[in-house]
Amino acid sequence: MKPKKHLNAFNLALFRCFAIGLAGLLQACSQPTETVDKDGITFCSESSPNTFNPQLDTSSTTADASAHQIYDRLLEFDPENGRIEPGLASSWLVSRDGLTYTFQLRKDVKFHTTSYFTPTRNFNADDVIFSIDRWRKASHPYHAVSGGSYPYFDSLNLQNTIKDVKRINGYRVEISLHKPDSSFLANLATDFSVVLSAEYAMQLMAAGSPSQLDKSPIGTGPYRFVGYRKDQYIRFERNPDYFLETKGAKHLIFDITPKSSLRFAKLITGECDAVAFPSQADLEVISQREDLTLMQKPGLNVGFWAFNTSKPPFNNPNVRKALSLAIDKTSLIEAIYLGQATRAKNLVPSASWAYQPNASESGYNPVEARRLLDEAGIAYDFAMTIWAMPVQRAYNPNAMKMAQLMSAYLEAVGINVEIVSYDWNRFRENLRLGMHDSVLIGWSADNGDPDNFYRPLLTCAAIPSGTNRAMWCNRQYDAIIEAALLTDDFEQRKVLYHRANQLLFDEAPLVPIAHAFQYQAISNDIDGMVINPFGGIRFDNVVRKP
Amino acid sequence: MSQFNLYQEEFQPSPIKNIWLEFKQSHFALAGLAVLLVFCTIAIVGPIFAPYDPSLQNTNALLLPPSWASNGSISHLLGTDSLGRDVFARVLYGSQTTFVSSVVLVAVALIVGVTLGTLAGMSSGVRSSILNHFLDALLAIPTLLIAIIIVAILGTGLINSMLAIILALIPQFVHQTRTFVRNEMEKDYILLDKLDGAGKFRIFWHSILPAMFELLAVQSTIALSIAIIDISALGFLNLGAQGVTVELGAMLSQSLESAYVAPWLVIVPGLCVFMLVLSVNIVGEGLRSALRNRLIH
Amino acid sequence: MITLLIRYLNLLTITFGVLIVFSFALAYLFPGDVLTNMSGIVPQSDAQRQALEKAYKLDQSIFSQFWHYLSNLFAGNWGVSFVSQADLLSEIKIAFPATIELTLYALLVAVFIGIPIGFIGGLNHHKPFDFGVVCYSVISYSFPVFWLALIFITIFSLQAGMFPLSGRINLLFDIPHQSGFILLDIFYSNIDNKSAAYIDAFKHLALPTLSIAIVTTAIFIRFARRSIMDVMEMGYIDAAKSRGFTTTQIFFKHGLRNALLPILPLMALQVSTLITNAMVVETIFSWPGIGSWLIQAIYQRDYPAIRMGMLVVSVFVVTLTITIEFLSRAIDPARDRFERVSV
Repeated sequence: MKPKKHLNAFNLALFRCFAIGLAGLLQACSQPTETVDKDGITFCSESSPNTFNPQLDTSSTTADASAHQIYDRLLEFDPENGRIEPGLASSWLVSRDGLTYTFQLRKDVKFHTTSYFTPTRNFNADDVIFSIDRWRKASHPYHAVSGGSYPYFDSLNLQNTIKDVKRINGYRVEISLHKPDSSFLANLATDFSVVLSAEYAMQLMAAGSPSQLDKSPIGTGPYRFVGYRKDQYIRFERNPDYFLETKGAKHLIFDITPKSSLRFAKLITGECDAVAFPSQADLEVISQREDLTLMQKPGLNVGFWAFNTSKPPFNNPNVRKALSLAIDKTSLIEAIYLGQATRAKNLVPSASWAYQPNASESGYNPVEARRLLDEAGIAYDFAMTIWAMPVQRAYNPNAMKMAQLMSAYLEAVGINVEIVSYDWNRFRENLRLGMHDSVLIGWSADNGDPDNFYRPLLTCAAIPSGTNRAMWCNRQYDAIIEAALLTDDFEQRKVLYHRANQLLFDEAPLVPIAHAFQYQAISNDIDGMVINPFGGIRFDNVVRKP
Repeated sequence: MSQFNLYQEEFQPSPIKNIWLEFKQSHFALAGLAVLLVFCTIAIVGPIFAPYDPSLQNTNALLLPPSWASNGSISHLLGTDSLGRDVFARVLYGSQTTFVSSVVLVAVALIVGVTLGTLAGMSSGVRSSILNHFLDALLAIPTLLIAIIIVAILGTGLINSMLAIILALIPQFVHQTRTFVRNEMEKDYILLDKLDGAGKFRIFWHSILPAMFELLAVQSTIALSIAIIDISALGFLNLGAQGVTVELGAMLSQSLESAYVAPWLVIVPGLCVFMLVLSVNIVGEGLRSALRNRLIH
Repeated sequence: MITLLIRYLNLLTITFGVLIVFSFALAYLFPGDVLTNMSGIVPQSDAQRQALEKAYKLDQSIFSQFWHYLSNLFAGNWGVSFVSQADLLSEIKIAFPATIELTLYALLVAVFIGIPIGFIGGLNHHKPFDFGVVCYSVISYSFPVFWLALIFITIFSLQAGMFPLSGRINLLFDIPHQSGFILLDIFYSNIDNKSAAYIDAFKHLALPTLSIAIVTTAIFIRFARRSIMDVMEMGYIDAAKSRGFTTTQIFFKHGLRNALLPILPLMALQVSTLITNAMVVETIFSWPGIGSWLIQAIYQRDYPAIRMGMLVVSVFVVTLTITIEFLSRAIDPARDRFERVSV
């Protein structure tokens, strides 16, 4: 028996209930309501910062999250032309012998007032001395806090270049050097040379929690820190006491979104106003869409494939050369950068004055590669790892995909590849420990000087600081790079750098792959964004259009 | 020989044939079965039809749209992915991996589950009741969580994710078998067996198992649809098939990076999983109503 | 009744015990250093290692280790994440309510849409409407939830721009964390534009809730349809009919209650599916719940986090399952405890 009849009226009633409910729900959802705070900017960044103190880290993620938001430096780069401009130092003087630098400091600069710190005094010479001494002196009480490693300064050996940092009076500081350094001022203007608050540091030391200095940061910059949740967000608020006239938005959010496809999607839906490292595949769409703007500049960067030269068989230059011959760079650049990059012959891009157009470069020759491998006694089915960095960078927008393509090439010459990847912070830590066979990574310039490529990437001093991914130490190379700094004569320096290029070609500790364009994708709702070719992103003048 | 029967005999089809007669009444069930058979064919001989090696990278043909699109190429039927690999070949191989591994893991879960369920159903007492409840409770833990733990211990991979899903599927079989065996054990024909002096194993093998066949068939289709979804879900989360193993879920997750410019890379593998699951479900549904109707008519 | 309660409490305790032992054993089962798996700290020096081993009683027998583990667990001292060094208890306190919230709304949608549709379908057995209901439920039951979510994103977020595709609320609303349930937290917060925040939160909820709910709704439709069909074939319905009641009266007087009863225990089985789907969907919509948290922990091989996350989620699911079982047994004592309604 089945009940069939007289249900219609009842059905109808039930149906109506649904229909009304559903309609109400849809209406509530599609109602055009003002939901977004007019005075806030959301930036979708690619990864969680390691720390909020750029002294401790060379990763651009850390620099983006802190260098130009929370902090200021004594000197700044003009993002347009790379000239050095006054920052916290209003003027400076260099002695005739190039050994003594005197900085006159601004007087009206206040540190941030936040829920966890209230400054009692303005910025002065003590803060500058504290900030430099922290990384310079191993005996400084703060030196060992948060790991005690200052990779940028260590890789340049800057702590041994500086003889002393002296306080002349409250607003005048004198720095003396052991030997002349033609890139010293440029180094003080990089993202890493931030000025911390000595007063806050002393308070934390007294409270027994010194590492808070790098976790809950206090600076003088245009934004103050409000909150951070790993892999989720960083929240900033405009600094009402900033010493410069800025018109930046009241709230600044870093929405941490590791997948480039998701960042792009959020840009389209308007959940992000600007995104870091748009994927090359999406660039065309971005430039076609009317609500988005694609900004681009030739980047001061290089993407490369570095071999761990401390491990056999990669300590053999012939093996390294063979591997470099086995891959077809042209196809890699075509597939990964989709033509948005120039092929790299050596470390510096053509935008730098040290660029060498006629540098020697290895081509694609799998037969020769196999011959060299046989000669070196590398068997068929030799297994090696390629570490592919887990984040996107302008110099390598998709290391994972590049590693997959390369493994096909290497397989053709009888080498089995295992691709390895970790969380970004752990990835770099393991690289520093030399656990890799080879790695796909790169470098973005922090200042316009070619020394900024040659020294941190391949000198012996850069091995412990973890920027020399090839773990390559060559006395001859170090001597050339050292000599190039002692003079101000461009032609003379050029000759030296070209000699270094030849040495790198012969030794092949790494295979330069590409110099990529630098991109920034923003929504047309915001205004005031500029690409900063010398490091971290800046939001001091970014506003939502009225 | 004589072609007529002396006695008028009523035609009595065998139970299996009976189910088939009922099953084919429904056009939907037949359509579902046809689709499922196509997938079975792909699983067995699919790679023969693959025009390319699924991991062959062609850097001259990146992100090619399907051949019917205006700028598609006839040499790549369903286009290519961001490494220039042929999507059609990958879908063939991927369907094979997903379907075959699901069938295998359902078979394993079936055998283990039926064994445990029978043991639980044939034993009795407080001990078994607590054990049964306890197993129920423990195995209510979500598949994904089990998979996460197994992957954490053993590492990612297709086999390990299959192991996790097997663990998650077993309780269903245990449940159904136990209830069934318990009910059957009280019936007269089992009593008859016992009086004849049959041992426990003989009772199970000759009396209960044949009677349980239909239940298991239905349960297997349910389990199979769950298994396919779970295998591809784990692949999608990068916990399942890795590296060169082509799997539909993993294909889907790899396609996300170019989802906006190449939507067919998201649509094709997802649609395959959907069709596969749908056909299994329709066949299962058809089987169930065939079983019900057979009892009614 | 009391015996029943004691039986279920007993069961709950045993299960918890096993889960805790298992989570303890995982520290030994996971690859790597037991000390790190247990504490989340990588010792930097031998002195620190020894101090930690002492603190975690690793130098003593396995039983005193377990006892120590147990007391730490109840004291709320759950160790730290090995990647971020964040306290696990507070991390889970933030992440888990987000998952529960999502699951709860999906369940509500599934119950309030799935069960009535199933009833209507069942009451109209062998009519086109019922056929439509069955088709709909088979099709939507076959959707892989992650693909469905991606399709929703493509249609509603990227093409139509109606709904956002990630997170719980626009981050520009600074909602302090209190209960962990976003709708409650907005209520507790002291921001000035609460209604805007509510609308924004609802928009963020819409797509993930819908993605999970569609599959569960399909299941509930089938439960409800079968259940009402079974009930309407009972003798007492015929009896009521013969006394001249209309079908509407019969449905509300006899059918509804009796058809709902067998559905309750079936819900227990769905908790696990629901949470699994929620965890998958979370990773797609960047919903900051326990699912995306655990998946992240796997990618980063954060074993302490996996151990604790597993313990919390399984304890939650098991508690819920057993409670529903208990309730359905308490309401309907006639039910054979091994019997489950076939779908």
